[in-house]
Amino acid sequence: MFLNYIKLAWRVLARRKFFTFITLFGISFTLGILMVFLSFLQSELGTSAPMKHKDDFVWISQVQLIRNVIDTIPVVDSMMQNGAMVFDTVSYDYKERSSGQSNSEINCQLAEKYLIGLPSAEYVTIFNSSYTNDVFVNGVKITINALMGDPNYWKVFNHKILEGRTIDQDDMDNAAQVIVISTKTAREYFGVTSGVLDRELKMDGKTFKVIGLYPDNSKIVDIISPDAVVPYTIYNMENQDSYYFGGFGAMLKKRDGATTQKLKEEIYHAASTIPIDHPDNNWEMNEVNFKPAATYNEAYAQGIYYEDKAEDSHQIMSFIVYGLLLFFILLPTLNLINLNVSRIMDRSSEIGVRKAFGAHQGNIVVQFIVENILQTFIGGLLGLILAFLLISLINSGGLLGDAILKLNTKFFIYSFFGTLLFGILSGFIPALKMSRLQIVNALKRK
Amino acid sequence: MIKLKNISKVYRTKTIETTALNDIDLHVAKGEFLSIMGPSGCGKSTLLNIMGLLDEPSNGSIVVDGQSITKYASKATAKFRNEKLGFIFQSFHLISDLSVIDNVELPLLYRKISGKERRRLAAEALESVGLINRKGHFPNQLSGGQKQRVAIARAIVGKPAIILADEPTGNLDSVMGDEVMAILTRLNEDLGTTIVMVTHDERMAKKTHRLIRLYDGSQVATASLA
Repeated sequence: MFLNYIKLAWRVLARRKFFTFITLFGISFTLGILMVFLSFLQSELGTSAPMKHKDDFVWISQVQLIRNVIDTIPVVDSMMQNGAMVFDTVSYDYKERSSGQSNSEINCQLAEKYLIGLPSAEYVTIFNSSYTNDVFVNGVKITINALMGDPNYWKVFNHKILEGRTIDQDDMDNAAQVIVISTKTAREYFGVTSGVLDRELKMDGKTFKVIGLYPDNSKIVDIISPDAVVPYTIYNMENQDSYYFGGFGAMLKKRDGATTQKLKEEIYHAASTIPIDHPDNNWEMNEVNFKPAATYNEAYAQGIYYEDKAEDSHQIMSFIVYGLLLFFILLPTLNLINLNVSRIMDRSSEIGVRKAFGAHQGNIVVQFIVENILQTFIGGLLGLILAFLLISLINSGGLLGDAILKLNTKFFIYSFFGTLLFGILSGFIPALKMSRLQIVNALKRK
Repeated sequence: MIKLKNISKVYRTKTIETTALNDIDLHVAKGEFLSIMGPSGCGKSTLLNIMGLLDEPSNGSIVVDGQSITKYASKATAKFRNEKLGFIFQSFHLISDLSVIDNVELPLLYRKISGKERRRLAAEALESVGLINRKGHFPNQLSGGQKQRVAIARAIVGKPAIILADEPTGNLDSVMGDEVMAILTRLNEDLGTTIVMVTHDERMAKKTHRLIRLYDGSQVATASLA
């Protein structure tokens, strides 16, 4: 009997080509787009290497100086008496407001002094991500987006080390001209993706010795996937703008047992201890803050949709992302239900005949569910192929910059079973309704 | 074989009450070929549907092959319908997505019979209506007469004791109508199948054993023709 249902389902799909096309298009397109969307989210916000500890991060990219002023607002109570204004009492209201602010990347020494050693932070890495250099290899220009970092960079981000080692404290102390490069840089600069240790890489008028190699983890956010990492002590600190501002940022990884919220509070407290009366404060600023002091996801959301508080950005972005996901799933599902209802209604005479010849309600429901499962299964496979093609297209065309999307089988299985469930439900409800029809009424319907 | 006692069928809406059948008493004997005639809307098809357990009466009792029927939507009634009854409809009601042999096989799907045995029985039924050479065709590739013969094969494939035919020749020309009637007569005579047939055609009715006439939902005449 079951085999017969599958055979019938197949024939129904084959003979009702338009219905089948619309339905399969809906399912496969939904799954395909959903997969690409989730792959992108996974690539940017997932916890695969080097972002294994991503949810423990608090990111600070700027320091902010604020000038708060207090406005005095006199409030005069008055009344009219015999046609004349009579003054009664005068009170004063005081309101603090920001009359100016200045934001920029952080001075390295300031970051070292106020961000290292916070109780809730296990590791702090301080970096300058704008060490971008054009170099020429056999007359061809390549751009190396290098990051000036520290030994903790490798403890915060878990890049896999393919060869050699990472930067250590000796390298930092000696401002050694050593470099850890990604396979992308190895390929572009040396033309190989292994065996690059101890080779020399010339950049920025310096000769760096390659001490390590890590895989290229293409991401949109540059601090996660730099082309190379060098010790930040090679940087001429004199070039920094002021006591407050420099070209640096920091990523803190919370300690086990601590919370990112606690760490944020410690960061705010540390900022409040930064002296505001330094001569470099020549704009009469009276408050200093670290920004955004946000978790990785919050900072990422703020990069897309800016709100003063990164938490607000995150909330808005989450709402948009979940809304889009729901939209991607809900729209075709409703469409599928609609199609199934009309498809099943269309076959009421068949239901009548089957019942007249001995089918009971359960037989009818199972028959239509088998049809829907087969249909969704085919749609799911097409969706997988579509997602694969789209992802290949995005990766090869570099549509998302350096970001490389990967098909996530876990998400595929979830989405697939989700769609299957919707397929079953969308078939079940109309099938159940129709199977309850009195035979004589089912036969009368055209 | 079929005993109807005080059968009534009333259709009610908020404003109107229509009596389709009014206090019908009828006994169809085993092996009998009964025809029902009457003007359109007199309740012929309603009566046939009630005999075939496709519709529930508003009042009265029905006994088919010794079994009193009370629960029309139950699994047991579905099984009973499958084993004891075969239906032939005026508009054939073949499933367009299924081939001829798959259509014929349909009643057997709801029995515990192997696929091979189903095929054999369906082929045998098609053979008996002279359409075995069309078994791989689809309904839209057949003429009206052929469709009705396929419908007859479907009705007899499970070897039911009773066949209920609702204007089986209504959509056919006289030659094809005669062919279909000949098959039904043969079924009745050779296999002893009890047949109840609704018809508008006096000529066809005269080929049956007994004719009852309905008017406005009531039985007004019975004539023995055998």
